[in-house]
Amino acid sequence: MRALIAAAVGLAAAFALVLTVTALARPSGGTSPEPLLTTVPAHP
Amino acid sequence: MRRKAGLVLLALAVFFAALSPLLRWYAFPRLAKIPANHYQHMVLEARDATLLDYATMRAKQVPKVTVVQTLKGNVEASERIEESAGRDVVVWDGLSYVVGPDGRMVSKIPERYIFDAHTQQPVHATGEMVDGDPVRREGIEFKWPFLTEKRDYAYFDAQARVTAPIHYKGTRDFRGLEVYYFEQTIPWTKVPIPRTLPVEGLSAEAVEKTGTTRWYTTVRKFWVEPLTGAPVYGEEIHREELRGGTLLGDRDRVTAFAGHVKMREDYTAHTVDLVTSQRLPILLLTSWLPWGSLALGLLLLALALYLEARARRRPGSAATKAEDPSPVTA
Repeated sequence: MRALIAAAVGLAAAFALVLTVTALARPSGGTSPEPLLTTVPAHP
Repeated sequence: MRRKAGLVLLALAVFFAALSPLLRWYAFPRLAKIPANHYQHMVLEARDATLLDYATMRAKQVPKVTVVQTLKGNVEASERIEESAGRDVVVWDGLSYVVGPDGRMVSKIPERYIFDAHTQQPVHATGEMVDGDPVRREGIEFKWPFLTEKRDYAYFDAQARVTAPIHYKGTRDFRGLEVYYFEQTIPWTKVPIPRTLPVEGLSAEAVEKTGTTRWYTTVRKFWVEPLTGAPVYGEEIHREELRGGTLLGDRDRVTAFAGHVKMREDYTAHTVDLVTSQRLPILLLTSWLPWGSLALGLLLLALALYLEARARRRPGSAATKAEDPSPVTA
């Protein structure tokens, strides 16, 4: 019984970690102020 | 005490073993996405190309034609579309700006490409266009999906506004990176005349009225890094002709552009470096962490079982003590 509980705790912790990490959406920020280029850039 | 340690190890073993598939099949597809605010530019060059001189309407050899391609993520537009689409969307506003040897504009074609940030599937929404013409893309454009497969893909050709297969032609080594080589051939196809032409006062409508049409063919080649789906190098053998109409006088066709367009060397080196660094988080989530976690889980499970077995066998252990009846003394 105690082994089952230990396994369940491990499983729940794995789910909790992965769900938390995936739910934390990274803010994408705003649109870049850089223009659509109409001149040839000197370098990347 | 040993039993307690065994139970902790068992919990950790299950934690790491469960983490392995969860990372690969649940977390990775949700975490791997193209940021909505992505911005990049690329320079491609065609050396010793043929270009139409609009003043004389004759083709001439030029030392170099340069294509400047910019992609800019429009965050506001993507957020608007996400509300109705119900998924992460990227909106790329792009511009292909072609410059002649004298530095003057040859053509400029804007486009808007809307797609799913995770899968690269096209998303159809108002504003999707090429050179102001509404289009409905099928397939991919500019980039392949994460974890690119060794198979043909449908690729959208912005000039012809059609989707055609781009064929997987094998795995290659490109500057130390394993890449998949893809190739697409667009046969001679009648395509719209660009809205912006290099001669002031000359419009696409005016050219169309003369009965002259624009035709195009290309062989498109991409070397794609399969984990990121990012092309690290590209080439195009591109030909354009104007055909028929009074604009050409007594000729039935004239070359508008012909050249072998290749990525400029500094951009190629930069792209290879960038993609090499971008591979790492994908490798972590798809390979290193899942396999490492699984191995650790199995190791901990073996250790937990070992401790449990020792605890049961040992005569002085807590389990044995509990089971042994205490000696009765008078």
